[in-house]
Amino acid sequence: MENRMTTEKDTSLDLAAWPALADPIHDSQRCFRQVLGALSEPGKRQTLTPFQGSPPHLGVALWGTLLALCDLETRVWIGADLDSASLRQALTFHTGARLVDDPALADFALLTPESFDPATPFAMGSDIYPDRSTTLLVVVETLVNQLGWRLSGPGIAESRDLNIGDSAGCQALMKRLGANRASFPCGIDAIFGAGDQLAAIPRSTRIAGGPSRPTAATEVN
Amino acid sequence: MNGYNFAYLDEQTKRMIRRGLLKAVAIPGYQVPFGGREMPMPYGWGTGGVQLTASILGADDILKVIDQGADDTTNAVSIRHFFQRVAGVETTTATIAADVIQTRHRIPETPLRSGQILVFQVPIPEPLRFIEPSEQETRLMHALEEYGVMHVKLYEDIARYGHIATTYAYPVKVDDRYVMDPSPIPKFDNPKLNDSPALMLFGAGREKRLYAIPPYTRVESLDFEDHPFEIQSWEENCALCGSDHSYLDEVITDDKGGRMFVCSDTDYCQTRRGEVA
Amino acid sequence: MYVAVKGGEQAIANAHRWLADRRRGDRQRPELEVAQIGDQLRLAVDRVMSEASLYDPELAALAFKQASGDLTEAVFLLRAYRTTLPRLAISEPLNTGDMRLERRISATYKDIPGGQILGPTYDYTHRLLDFLQLAGADVPPAEVREDVSEAEPAPGILDLLDDEGLVEREIDDGAEPADITRDPPDYPMDRAARLQMLARGDEGYLLALGYSTQRGYGRNHPFAGEIRLGQVEVEIHVDEWDETICVGEIALSECQMINQFGGTREAAPKFTRGYGLAFGHNERKTMAMALVDRALRAEELGEPVIGPAQQAEFVLAHADSVDASGFVSHLKLPHYVDFQSELDLLRRLRREHARNSSPDLGESLDRPSTEEETSARKSGQGKHDRESGVHGL
Repeated sequence: MENRMTTEKDTSLDLAAWPALADPIHDSQRCFRQVLGALSEPGKRQTLTPFQGSPPHLGVALWGTLLALCDLETRVWIGADLDSASLRQALTFHTGARLVDDPALADFALLTPESFDPATPFAMGSDIYPDRSTTLLVVVETLVNQLGWRLSGPGIAESRDLNIGDSAGCQALMKRLGANRASFPCGIDAIFGAGDQLAAIPRSTRIAGGPSRPTAATEVN
Repeated sequence: MNGYNFAYLDEQTKRMIRRGLLKAVAIPGYQVPFGGREMPMPYGWGTGGVQLTASILGADDILKVIDQGADDTTNAVSIRHFFQRVAGVETTTATIAADVIQTRHRIPETPLRSGQILVFQVPIPEPLRFIEPSEQETRLMHALEEYGVMHVKLYEDIARYGHIATTYAYPVKVDDRYVMDPSPIPKFDNPKLNDSPALMLFGAGREKRLYAIPPYTRVESLDFEDHPFEIQSWEENCALCGSDHSYLDEVITDDKGGRMFVCSDTDYCQTRRGEVA
Repeated sequence: MYVAVKGGEQAIANAHRWLADRRRGDRQRPELEVAQIGDQLRLAVDRVMSEASLYDPELAALAFKQASGDLTEAVFLLRAYRTTLPRLAISEPLNTGDMRLERRISATYKDIPGGQILGPTYDYTHRLLDFLQLAGADVPPAEVREDVSEAEPAPGILDLLDDEGLVEREIDDGAEPADITRDPPDYPMDRAARLQMLARGDEGYLLALGYSTQRGYGRNHPFAGEIRLGQVEVEIHVDEWDETICVGEIALSECQMINQFGGTREAAPKFTRGYGLAFGHNERKTMAMALVDRALRAEELGEPVIGPAQQAEFVLAHADSVDASGFVSHLKLPHYVDFQSELDLLRRLRREHARNSSPDLGESLDRPSTEEETSARKSGQGKHDRESGVHGL
């Protein structure tokens, strides 16, 4: 059994920056429903405001997602540019999640488009158990339903535009997610967070275009 | 309820189910294994649906529970009472007012709207089970998309009876990939699965599987070019509200062959009568 | 005018009141105490604890009382309670070799170190109804041996065979076993998970399956190597103190079957094992479990899988009485909707049958109608090549 007592020492200073859910039962439920909504309707933005304050680097939405979904049975991988002793301590303290160095073992992977490397061997599940895969939690600067990538597939009535930024990292990440269709049902699901905004692209989503494509933006929400 | 958590399940179990649900919506129609727990009601009586509802339900949600389309059947009453007791949530019989609807064997006649979640109780989640009883085999068949046997089964019906003899739990294909059991709803309800604005979640407690159809997802009932899928129809109208387009229950009125037909969806029928009156 | 059935809630409440009244029975007689059940119906209590996989004699007795003696219902009650309990610690593996024995027998050796202890068994009772119990006769206390604490050690019989290399050795590979109470079943299942499923499997079911192996459906030539019953200490390791401490004692039954040997060109033949373990005094259950455990090892030991008891998925998926009774009893729930859809189809088929079986056509339901044959031919679909004409595949 994991023991939270051992992580409690010396954390008082760092932990202050990482708020807990004020009402763990009902706040978790609200966060979860937003995340469920995000994955059920890919690209549709949800607003998560589970607490006051702003956890460093991650944003309220993704930190709330972690608190709502992680526990002793969850393994989390943290990308280099988000990794910090205080995040590790806070995550372990608040959720009991196990931190792993091997991305293939991770249930959740915390990263930014900038640190995303398409070659990182996240778990994609198997044809028999495609659910045994890593879900990416991606910290982005931009998360808007306008000119960007055009999403279609389950959860989307016709199509929906989503823009997560046009950096090389964003392009590489979206390209990777676009490749999910070829490996379906194996693949990785992604949840994007920018501040209190959250949107997701599961592996079932077809992705077309990119920020530079000429087609006019349409808001289909 | 003293001694038990909100909505009965402990938070760790809820998180486990919630993580499973996220996979389920990401892989529409795929049966996600989950560590189903014993519930204080028997397996086969809706424990899968109850666990899903308990995991998604919030204090502000309005819950509707139906069995056979009706709010007043004993098991619907019992499950609704359970959630009133362990979650203190508001309940309703009005389809239109509900945020979460737990159902056994029907999809409401009133079209569902965006934001609603329909939770199905599922006895046997595996559509291939009655063709191949082994779980190891059926998982492999899903992995390899080996669904020919299902069509052979349906076609044998046609050869024998002149019709596909499956009238409920009629298999569907979700987003052109997974063949899925829609739970024992009459095939009359199958078209409502397709392109629905609502999220549909399916829970099988005893078999420890959950699966989902996200909103706006293509769901096709399996059929053949020369035997296209068709739904039940009645020559009669509902004896109470006059509906000529809803699923009807047959009610025996005497021992001389007298019978009448009434809407199986009690809320729909009552609402129509309210409007008619 | 027809009115849809109402008042389900009232009906349920009334049913519960009636049930409670029936359970209490004749008020002229004293109410059964839970403690009495624990004392005097202990075998029922032990079975409830075993199949519920919760060691709590008092609550098992309560469940038995609450269920009016329906064992399956009592197992379900206790199991549903169990699932709400937090997991505070995981015990060290129990050492049944250190059991404080109440009973210990071996069918393979006449005399064994530590001796054969018959213990409180029904084995040699003549099954004659004891009418004295009807009259409430006093029962003289059993005499307790004073020298119990100095009893000579009773090493496991199979360990003695193992010392000679005659029985397969079981080695703890240190791997963390699956936890069937938390993880969904994943077939094929390893032996640790199988044993867990069997340990809480329904006794009657395991008994029938074990029996079937004896009658030739997957025979495995068993000998009851050793059966022991008694108290075993439960220990947990406390990380903070880096110490292992005893947190209590539980009663256990254990059966080790010795079964016919396997062997290959490389490995000399050895006896194989079947294992059974249960809470409390549950001897029949552990024997049946050991037979089924051994049967389920058929594939591992290179034996043909011919009997039902050897088919792991079949055996394990249907062993749990909570699963099985729930699903069988769910047939009591309303199925108006599905039944109506079957009625509708049946009426339609019968109409068509009547039409088609008029004398000049001579068709019957057992054969496809002329129309169907034509359409199948038209679309070029033979019996084994139908995918071509299929939608949604």
